Amino acid sequence: MSGLEISGIRVRFGHAEVLRGIDCRVAAGETVVLFGPSGAGKTTLLRAIAGVEPAASGVVRIDGREVQDLEPEHRPLGMAFQNFSLYPHLSAYENIASPLRARRLRTPEIEIKVRRVADLLRIDHVLGHLPRELSNGQKQRTALARALVAEPPVLLLDDPLRNVDAKLRYEMRLELPPLLRKTGAAVIFVTQDFREAMALADRVVVLREGAVLQDAPAEEVYGAPASVPVAQLFGDPPMNLLSARLVQEDNRVRAEAAGMAPGFPDLDITRMEAPLLGVRPEDVLLASPATGGAHAEILAVTPLHERCVLLLRAADGTELVASMAGAAPDPGTFVSIAGARHAVLFDPASGRRLAISDARTEVVA
Amino acid sequence: MSDFALPVPAKRWRVGRLLPYLLSLPSLLVCVGIVIPFVASAIYSLQRYNLAFPTGRAFIGFGNYISFLSDPSFWNTVEVSIIYTAATVGIELLLGLAIAMLLRERTFINNVISVVLMLPLMTAPALASLMWKLMTNPGFGVLSWAVSLIGLSNFKWASDPHTAMLTVVLVDIWVYTPFIMILLLAGLRSLPPAPFEAAQLDGVPGRFVFFRVTLPMLSPFIVTACLFRLLDSIQQFDIIYAMTQGGPGDSLMVFQVGAYLEFFQYTNVGRSAALLMVLWVITYFLSDRFVRQWHKLRERRQGHA
Amino acid sequence: MREPITRILRGSALALILLFFLFPILWILLMSFQTNADILRIPPRLGFTPTLSNYVALLSGKLATSSGTLDITFLRNLGNSLLLSVASVAASLVLGVPAAYAFARYRFRLGESIAFTLLSFRFAPPLLVLLPLSLYFQILGLTDTYGGLIWVYQLITLPLILWIVRGYFEDASPDIEHAYRVDGHSWWRTFTRIAVPLARPGIAAAGLLAFIFAWNNFVFALVLASADKQPVTVGALAFVTAAGIQYGQIAAAIVLSILPTLALALYAQRWLVEGLSLGAVKG
Repeated sequence: MSGLEISGIRVRFGHAEVLRGIDCRVAAGETVVLFGPSGAGKTTLLRAIAGVEPAASGVVRIDGREVQDLEPEHRPLGMAFQNFSLYPHLSAYENIASPLRARRLRTPEIEIKVRRVADLLRIDHVLGHLPRELSNGQKQRTALARALVAEPPVLLLDDPLRNVDAKLRYEMRLELPPLLRKTGAAVIFVTQDFREAMALADRVVVLREGAVLQDAPAEEVYGAPASVPVAQLFGDPPMNLLSARLVQEDNRVRAEAAGMAPGFPDLDITRMEAPLLGVRPEDVLLASPATGGAHAEILAVTPLHERCVLLLRAADGTELVASMAGAAPDPGTFVSIAGARHAVLFDPASGRRLAISDARTEVVA
Repeated sequence: MSDFALPVPAKRWRVGRLLPYLLSLPSLLVCVGIVIPFVASAIYSLQRYNLAFPTGRAFIGFGNYISFLSDPSFWNTVEVSIIYTAATVGIELLLGLAIAMLLRERTFINNVISVVLMLPLMTAPALASLMWKLMTNPGFGVLSWAVSLIGLSNFKWASDPHTAMLTVVLVDIWVYTPFIMILLLAGLRSLPPAPFEAAQLDGVPGRFVFFRVTLPMLSPFIVTACLFRLLDSIQQFDIIYAMTQGGPGDSLMVFQVGAYLEFFQYTNVGRSAALLMVLWVITYFLSDRFVRQWHKLRERRQGHA
Repeated sequence: MREPITRILRGSALALILLFFLFPILWILLMSFQTNADILRIPPRLGFTPTLSNYVALLSGKLATSSGTLDITFLRNLGNSLLLSVASVAASLVLGVPAAYAFARYRFRLGESIAFTLLSFRFAPPLLVLLPLSLYFQILGLTDTYGGLIWVYQLITLPLILWIVRGYFEDASPDIEHAYRVDGHSWWRTFTRIAVPLARPGIAAAGLLAFIFAWNNFVFALVLASADKQPVTVGALAFVTAAGIQYGQIAAAIVLSILPTLALALYAQRWLVEGLSLGAVKG
């Protein structure tokens, strides 16, 4: 298979096992976002793939060739480090040219390739500068250019947008996907920002405590998190997790909580002590109190992007977060919870996903 | 997909695990060559071994050490070494601390003074002794003349057993006070300013701030500097040997000078080695304590970086 | 600090301190430009006609004394000091910089113990090693050779270089080196092209300080070197006892002997704190 294939990667720091057997495949041309909280082992995984962190066991294949026993310099990949890790005593040009020099290209060829990638990333005007003379954005682009310039079949990008300002991050989020696609490389992109993951990922791998929690397309991780931890990690504000009551209906089971009662046609359990109902804030359907439904008091309001986020207390006392477009209502007033557009049911004991709700909008009579 | 590739590795063997050993091995080998004479010293100290009577060489267990117990010259060495060490380190600490406090603020003039004050420290101690020897020469020495002005006409400095200690201590202070000063100055300047600003705002008296805030916060630096100096001072050789070779009489016969003379003058290798082993035991405990303290300071520095 | 009395007290305290610490150097400097007659004058006078005769005599190696011409080897002592210090520092850099890198970058078994063993040599009584060594050197044929001396001088220079340079390697982010490896460069190229250039200020500082300490050393050469291999520290001492020597010439010899280290110290003063504390305290 062309691209990157890893299996059973384990890394230990002393007695602590930081990676407990990671499997993952990234096809050529595909971008996989490695997502997880800090300390999950994302950076360690990239470093193990690159060979700068020794793995206790596991196999790394690049374009079908096993590379786990090779020194880092013999692994055909490019990597952008979180802190840029530019060579402070070399110009931006020489920084970018470094992988080409290692491959013993001739000077005119190096010149052509460095110029091409610098043009692409719009840093052609600062090639003569030392890293300390560059802005953070330019540093980040230089680091990226260095990873890209040798056109490696595998690209490892370790949270490259973390240390740049919000505006540039936004721009790069738009620029990067076509750029990465054009390289045709198998890309692993590490981030802690779920929006970045949504914008860039063909697939998301959620990592926590050194283990993969879910490996699926971004929409699926968002809409159908495999477990409670994924639901809590992926999304901002995070998914509401409400203690629900199961109600048996003719051909399906409903889960009732905070005035919502989405139906789960595939659920084959009818009795379960307090399963967890997961509802994304934007999936909480709100209506004006006049329309009936379950009343809920607005405890607090926070604007977030073009929407506003409401902290609600439902009639049964549960607190939940909802988000809505349009003008922010005042705290202290009431809204009506009309139902859930989409919901997921979790087993409270194991945390595993039990079922996904049907598409219909449910309104409690 | 790339039109050019990395060179194919010649071997699939990772040098990684061995590398650190390979890198540090040369350094270690050079020093191991030096451990051998150390072991030899330990063995010699258990022998009756005099270069002048090679046939009398024999293993005598702790004989050399036991004879020390009843040997007044050994106890004289212990006494002289302790007096020398206590006097030099004590005075240097007080003086160094005082100077560091005076130079604490980072002004241009203070920085210039602190740099200039390091010149004695950069003078070879043996040469420093020579300098003071010239200055205390009874015939023309400027210091001999200076003390005669205040009525001490028969002050003989290092040639008089009563003032020899004072003279070498003075040279040691001249050379090494800057060492303590510079370390404590670095320590003082690295202290967080917040407690001092707070104390100033609250109108806390300066003496209180010095004893309750400055000194406790500075103590790791003080302990390091003192241990460093204790280690050097108890082993002092250069200054004393260059000044009087341990004399007059045996008034300055510290450990290393005694061992040196025992070896080269009396060719008594066994006794000389035993004397050095006693010194080594003392320095071993001091350096163990020192290395731990030093390591703490070093990790603190790493933490700040 | 604002009250005039404390200012005056502080100023005079500093003046006294400067006087105590600088007077000997200045006085010896003055002496070195005086004739014997000027030196022997009591009370000493600042007004005298400076003469270079002391220096001329030292550098020419011919000393005119009342009892005839005396050959002196001071220039050779200076040369020995230079050779021993430069060669020892060079050897320590070659040996110590890779080791410092290993200690800084790799957590390996024995690593810390090796590093601390090397450090502890700095604190053991030097004669403990030197006296038996003087016997062994006879067997090994190293007695009175530059090679043997340079080897023993590693006891002074190597721990210093090792621990200071280690600190500089530790201060640099290992990721910069990782990035270079991932670019496709070998371990050795990464070490020489990235790690060493980035630690260059520290290596230079450690080298300068090691030079100063090697130059100032006395006891090593006293035990192991004969007259024609002796550095200035030992040579100057022999000088004092030489018959017919003049005090001005001793002073001039001292000035020439301490000048190099004082000049280097002024140049390297930024790193002195770090060097003197073996890398534990940053100035």
